[in-house]
Formats: sequence, structure tokens, C-alpha cells
Amino acid sequence: MSALLLGIAWGIAAVLAIAGGAVIGVWWERKVAGHIQLRYGPLQIGPAGSLQMLADVPKLLFKEDIVPSAADKPLFKWAPLMVFAPVAASLAVIPFAAGWAPLDTSVGVLFFLAVPSLEVVAILVAAWSQRNTLAAIGGLRAASQMIAYEVPRALSVLPLVLLAGSLRPTAVLGAWQWWWMPLLSIGFIVYLIASIAEMNRGPFDLPEAESELVAGYFADYSGMRWAIFMMAEYGAMIAASLFAAATFLGGGWPFGGALGTAAIVLKAALLITVIMWVRWTFPRVRQDQLLRFCWTVLVPAALVQLVVVGVVLPWM
Amino acid sequence: MDVKRARPAVPPSVSGDAEDRMGLVKGAASLAKGLGITLKAGVSRPLTVRYPQQKVAVSPRWRGPLALRGVLGRDDIPLLKSASHAYNELIDGLYRSDRLPPCVGNCPANVDARGQAFLIADNRVAEAYELVRDRNILPGVLGRICHHPCETACKRNFYDEPVAIRPLHRFAYEEYRKIRHERISPLPRTQGKSVCVVGSGPSGLAAAYDLLKLGYRVVMYERERKPGGALNTGVPAYRLPRDVLYEEIGDIVGLGLELNTGVEVGKDVPLVELIREHDAVLLAVGLQQSRILPIPGTDAEGVVGALEFLWSANFKHEAGVRGKRVLVIGGGNVAVDVARCALRVGASEVKLACLESESEMPCHPWEIAEALDEGVVALCSLGPEEVLVRHGQVAGMRMRSCLSVFDETGRFAPKFGDETTDVPADVIVFAIGQAPKIDALVAGTELLVSGRGQLVVDGTLFTTSVPGVFACGEIVTGPGSAIGSIATGHEAATSIHRYLQGLPLDGDRVARPVPVYPKHAPADITNVEANRRRAVMPMADPEERASDFRQVELGLTRQEAMAEAMRCLRCESEVCVGCTFCARTCPDYAIKVERVDEAGARCLTRYDYDLSKCCYCGLCAEQCPTKALQHTGQYELSFWHRDLMVFDKGEMLRPPTGTRATGRDGVSPPGCPVPRREEP
Repeated sequence: MSALLLGIAWGIAAVLAIAGGAVIGVWWERKVAGHIQLRYGPLQIGPAGSLQMLADVPKLLFKEDIVPSAADKPLFKWAPLMVFAPVAASLAVIPFAAGWAPLDTSVGVLFFLAVPSLEVVAILVAAWSQRNTLAAIGGLRAASQMIAYEVPRALSVLPLVLLAGSLRPTAVLGAWQWWWMPLLSIGFIVYLIASIAEMNRGPFDLPEAESELVAGYFADYSGMRWAIFMMAEYGAMIAASLFAAATFLGGGWPFGGALGTAAIVLKAALLITVIMWVRWTFPRVRQDQLLRFCWTVLVPAALVQLVVVGVVLPWM
Repeated sequence: MDVKRARPAVPPSVSGDAEDRMGLVKGAASLAKGLGITLKAGVSRPLTVRYPQQKVAVSPRWRGPLALRGVLGRDDIPLLKSASHAYNELIDGLYRSDRLPPCVGNCPANVDARGQAFLIADNRVAEAYELVRDRNILPGVLGRICHHPCETACKRNFYDEPVAIRPLHRFAYEEYRKIRHERISPLPRTQGKSVCVVGSGPSGLAAAYDLLKLGYRVVMYERERKPGGALNTGVPAYRLPRDVLYEEIGDIVGLGLELNTGVEVGKDVPLVELIREHDAVLLAVGLQQSRILPIPGTDAEGVVGALEFLWSANFKHEAGVRGKRVLVIGGGNVAVDVARCALRVGASEVKLACLESESEMPCHPWEIAEALDEGVVALCSLGPEEVLVRHGQVAGMRMRSCLSVFDETGRFAPKFGDETTDVPADVIVFAIGQAPKIDALVAGTELLVSGRGQLVVDGTLFTTSVPGVFACGEIVTGPGSAIGSIATGHEAATSIHRYLQGLPLDGDRVARPVPVYPKHAPADITNVEANRRRAVMPMADPEERASDFRQVELGLTRQEAMAEAMRCLRCESEVCVGCTFCARTCPDYAIKVERVDEAGARCLTRYDYDLSKCCYCGLCAEQCPTKALQHTGQYELSFWHRDLMVFDKGEMLRPPTGTRATGRDGVSPPGCPVPRREEP
């Protein structure tokens, strides 16, 4: 019973964290995009427009929640939450401090890789429930893309597990040495690229592809349900960045304690900024380019990293 | 049957060709380069303004004009901290200050062609005539011979064809002559001073008309037996029937002008005496002497000047060329007149030789086109070398080929080639320009004459070296157009008035440069509706008209003229005429215009501007000839007020959709003339 209550408490905390992160993240993304395009971005509300989302969130809350008449209504209504839930759950295993994670489990790394994968199913549900060709195409694109990029993403995390000898994230963080960073640089880059593809962000935003599919798998959503999709995207970005910060980049290193937690968040913010930078730099890739890149570049690169860590290092 | 199935062509792979693919290193390098570019952009200063604390204060529409006026530097974007009415008003004032419709602005004498079209369309033809006569003192004459810079500048050139302003002058005259006896009466002489005008050409008449209106006694002397100056002696009768000229001058005489014809000042009356008798004297004697080139053989029999030739052709209808071959030297309008006159007085063959190539000929293109229609042969790019003389009689002319007429700086500096041609001719007419002949006129006075026989005149104030003696017309400007001469006459009259009133002559007067508008390409009128086309001037048949001095242009009917006047766009009037050019231009189809297009009742019935479709491109305002539409930098639409068209938020909220731009009362459409409703 207490475990259930604790789970509910952690769930609420995760939702709040992602919501807060999304609010800041949307503002920050608009600023980054603006400056990259030689604009100012939001300026009006709050210092440097930082409270812009205070105006946007009520707007989204009060917007009409449109359900298409031909849609599969129960699925349509629940799909956004099904997309959001795995993302929120994945935050549970991230070691925010040395030796501590909200859910400190011996299969944490596996949990982090597997649970967000459920998002694929939820996206397919959302896409299918709308009875909308564009949404269906977007959903199928998302499925092929996300399943394909699971492979390099998992392979890129494996060297960490090999080095630490454990699937427990806190153990990985505990075993971390600074020289892992140069050693695992290929794996880190593969992880970052595969994560961007996993969260359907540019240049891998084919499932949304505004210019061809309107908004892809959430084309018919409006108001808060649409906002939940966006929050899931930002949540995935936050989760992937936090995980990378806590494992690849050594968590709180070189600090400890509360400062260490702050360092993790800071590193994650930096990674998020890089992800935004990438999005506003590169044009969207094509479906065939996307898959070819996955199987001919990312997977071999991840395997090379695995061989370096798993074969070359012990042999030396 | 063996059907050979064509294999469907393999579409080029969507993956691209293998050789197009980049290597890993090259690909990574290009990705890094892209990231570098965006990183650099991300840390550099944004180019946009911090709207709305900072606004681009001047709409791009204004930046060009303001930069030209020196209000703005060329690349300045002035920023305004808050919206400023004063700034708007400054811009508006600058814009209003020299707002003339293009036809009026391009006319040397600023004849109000827009007003004429307005009045004729309203069937107030006599008023139209009097409005035009105010600046262009001989509308009936100029309506036949003017080179119409107004039509060149007409905004309709951009859309289809210019409004037929000159034929409308002529139409107004034809209507006015029916009632002229009712309208003409002597003007009161209120000043008690008298002015003497020497010469009754267009410039002298213009000055006399202005001075009469100001209340002076005006005495005019003319050497010929009939008044009109060059209009009388030089312009061929097929273009200008003399009764029209005499009638219009008769009107001015009816206003109080004392005209003495057949009196040559300097011979019959000494100028000194006139200066003593009158308070001011205006010399408007024009150019009386044809220039003849200093080449061998010009003293032979058969060489004549253009003015002498035209004089005898006009007055005697006989210039001694019957059955002879005539060669005209020169490419200007006078040369074309001479050539066409020569045909009419019986020349067997008329050739026109000029230095310029066909496209460079200084005459008006329609003139030479009409001449070619009548059978004149144009020999272009030939320069006169020598007159061939046989037994003291002209036998022809040796011409040398001309390579170019103007040098790089545009000055007259002909270059000749080596080839020569002999053109046989019995009579050679030199139409290469005219020169003043004022020796007899100025004898006994203190007037300064330059070494080249020209009177010394101030080009802006029209004063000469003797106080109280003024000059105007071609004697000041050199050979030019009739309307240009009239403009100098008006200016000279102003000078004389100021002189007689003891006011400073220059005062705030400026030499207003006449704007020259770019030449328009021939308009594409393939899809233009018939009722939007320019009225076609009926012409006499070229074969028949070339044999006598009948008029070539036949004039417009009342119906044609009123329809033509309605084509006027009333440029710069700020009153919409329903031309629909805004609706035609709008990329968003946001504008709907409906209008009534009937003579005397032209008005808008509906003007809808759907601001929900509007993309604020401003193209409609760029197009608008009347400036009834205004595009401003203040796109909140909340505080810009215009007298007749108000776009404000209240208007935007009017049901049912879009915005209705209405008149001052909020109901009636703008641009509607005051309804002439008969009371029951």
C-alpha cells in the first residue's frame, strides 16, 4: 500500500517536473530559435519574455477540446496520456545524486530503455484513433523510426553497463571514472543522435513533418491534449538528457551532494540546448535517409564502441 | 500478337545516387560547419527591432522619398520609442506639399488636365474650356498641335493607354465656340498702367492674357497682317486651321487686348518710343531666321530655309516646288512639317535626310509616322556635305554617312564615315533650326545683344539689360514647343506685374523644374475591355489628305469625349474613382469594388476591404492613382485618420464581414460626386 502511495507521489512529482521543464524548455527553445534566426524571440512577458508560457498555458487550458466525430473516441481521449506516462515513468530510475534514484532498481538501465519504448504503441494508438490519413502516416513513420533507433540507442548504452558491471544506474554512476568520457565519446554521440530520433525532434521529426503531414500523429488534437503531446516530447528530451548527464557525463562530477544534483541538471540543460541547436540547424531528413543512417552508420558505430570496450580493453 | 511490353522506366532512386553520398568524414565536417553557422548566428546581435518598444517609424513606402529629400540618410532606419502623431504629420505634410497629378506636373504651363477631364465628364464643357484657358491660353490651337507631355506622364500609361487630353482640349474648344459670344467681355482695367507686347505668338499672348486679367492695359504689335506668330506663319494649315487660331486670339482681343497687326517694331515704330510710352515692354518676337549650314553651294538657287518655305506654303499654297524633287535637311518637327507641306504644294517627290538614325530622330514619333504614311521618304544617318550645283541651280546634295550623332556625354558631336551618296533634288530646304533676327528691333536701345545675335535675358525672371523691358518665348529658350513658350509667357507676366507693383522680382519664386517622367513601353492592351480603351482620333485618309491642306485629325464627338474624360483617374485627388486597380492588384482578393460608370454620374457604389484577408503588402496603395488608399507603418490601424477613408477599429468591427471603407458620414461610399438630385 505504501509502495502504491509512494508511486503516486513520485508520479505527481515527475509530471510536475516535466511540466515545469516543458514550460522553461518552450521558452528557451523559442529564444534559441530566435537568436539562431537573428531574431529576439519572446520579449514581452517577464524579463526577456521568460514568463511567456504563463500566458500560453492558460490559453491551451481554455482552448476547445475538439474530438473529431469519426474518431475512436475512447482511444482518442486516452492516447495523449498513454504517450506521456512512459516518459514520466522513465524519470524514476535516473540517479539524481550519488547512490540515490527515485526507483533504485537492479534493472534500471533496462527500465530506462524499455519503458519509454511503450510510447511507440501509444503514438500508434493516437494516430490510428483519429481516422485521419495524415495522422496514420505520421504514426507509422513514428513506429518505424522509433523501433529502428531503439537498436543503436540500446547498443550505445551497453558499454557503460560493461564497464560498470551492473544494470543499476546508481552503480554505473558509482563506478564512473573521468576517462570514460573520452573512451565512450562515440557511444555518447550515437546515444544523443538516437535519442533525438526517439523523441521525434528535428532533424528526425518526420512523424510530425508540419509541411507535409500537418502535425503528423497528433494532427487532430487541440488544446490541452495537444499540449500533452508536446509535453511528452519535452519530457523525453529532459529524460534523455538527464540520463546522459547522470551516466555518460558522470552525474554530479566534479561536485558532490546538492551541488552535484545541480550539476546534473545543468549538464542536462546544456544537452537540451545542444539538441535545440541541432534542431534549428539541420533540415528534416527523408525516410530512406533516416533508416539508412540508422543501420549503416549508427549501429556499426555503436558496435565499434562495444567492441572497443568489451574486447579491446580487457585484452589490453 | 506479340505485344512488346515496354518496361516502365525505373524512377531515379529516392535515395540518390551512390556517388552523391558523402563519406563519413566529409558528412561530419559539413554537419559541423552547419552547426558552426547557427552557433555564430545565435550569439550575434539580432537584426530585428524590439517591437513594440522600438518600431520602424517610417514605412518602407516613405523611406525612398524621405531619403531623396535628405530627411533620412540612405541606410537609416529611424526608431521611434513610441507612436508619434507629429512624425506622421511631418511625413504627410512632406507628401502633400508638392502633390500634383502627373499630367499637370509634366506640363510646362501646368494646365489642369485633371480638372478638365472632371468637368467634361460632368458635361460642364464650357467651364472645362475656361479652366484650361487659364493656363493654356489657346486650348483650341494647342488641342491640335501640342506635343502633349501630359499624355506622356498620364498614369493610365501604366494600365492601358493615356487619357486623350489633347483631343479633349480640342473638343472643349469646339463646344465653347458655340457660346463664346456669351462668355467674352472686356476685362476691367484697374491698374492704370500699360504694357506693350511685341509679337503675338503663344508666349506674347499668354503674357498679355495674364496681364489683362490683372487689370493692365495691354497693347500688342505684330509684324504680319494676321496675329499668331509662329502658329500663324510656321505651323502648317493641315494641322491648325487658321480660323481656329484667329478665333481664339479674337477671344483675347475681346477681353481687352489692343492688337495692332502689320506693324513691325523697329521699322514702323522704334522700340525706344514704345519703352517711353509704356510702363513695361515685353519682347516676344520669337525666332525669325532659318539657319543654313555653312557648306559649299548654299547660295545656289533652290536652297531655302524652313521658315521661308513654310511661310509661302501656308499663305500662298505655292512654294515653287510643283513637280519638283524636294530634299529636306533635318530630323525635327519643323523638318517633318516642311516635308508634309511640300507634298501638299505639289512636290513630285519628298525626301527627308537627317543625321540621326531612325530611332534617334528628334521629331515626335507620331509626326514622322504620319509623314511616312503620306509618302515622305526618310533617309537616316546622313550628314550634308556639299550642295551639288549645275548652272547656278541646285542639282542635288552629296551626303556623308553619319556614324554617331552624340558623344558619350550626350553632347552633339557627329562622327562621319567615309561613304558618300549623291541625292538628286531640285529644291533643298534646310530645317536645322532657327535663329533670332533682332538687329532692327534693338537698334537705338541699350539692350545688350550677345555675340551670336541673341538677346541677353535672365532665364528665370525674364528680365533684359534694360529695366522695364522683358522678354519671353523662343527668343529666351531657343526653339521649343508652343506650350513651353506659353509657360515662359506666364512667368514673364508675373515678373512684369511684380515690376510694376514695385515688388522684388525674385521674391520666393523658384525656377520650377519640369519633371520628366520615364518613357512608357507600349501598354499591353490585349485583354483590356473596349470601354477602358482610349478614344481613337478619326483621321483623314492619307492618300487624299496629302494633296491639300485639309485637317488630318477630325476631332471627337461629344459622346466619345465624355467617355474619354471619364477614363481620367483623377490622380492625387484622394477621392476614389473606382478604377478597381487595387482590386486587380490585391494578391489576396481582399478588395471588392463596384461602381456606376455612367456619364455625369460616375461613382462608387461599394468598396469592401476585407482586412481579415489582407496581408498588409501595400500593393493596393502603390497602385492607387488617386492616393485615396494609404499604406502606413502604423499597422494597428487605430489612429490614422484620413478625411474620406477611415480605417479604424470601429470600422473593422462592423458586421457582417470585413471592413467597409466609407465616406465621412460613415454610410456613403467615398468618391461619389455630390448627388445632383432634382427636388420633386
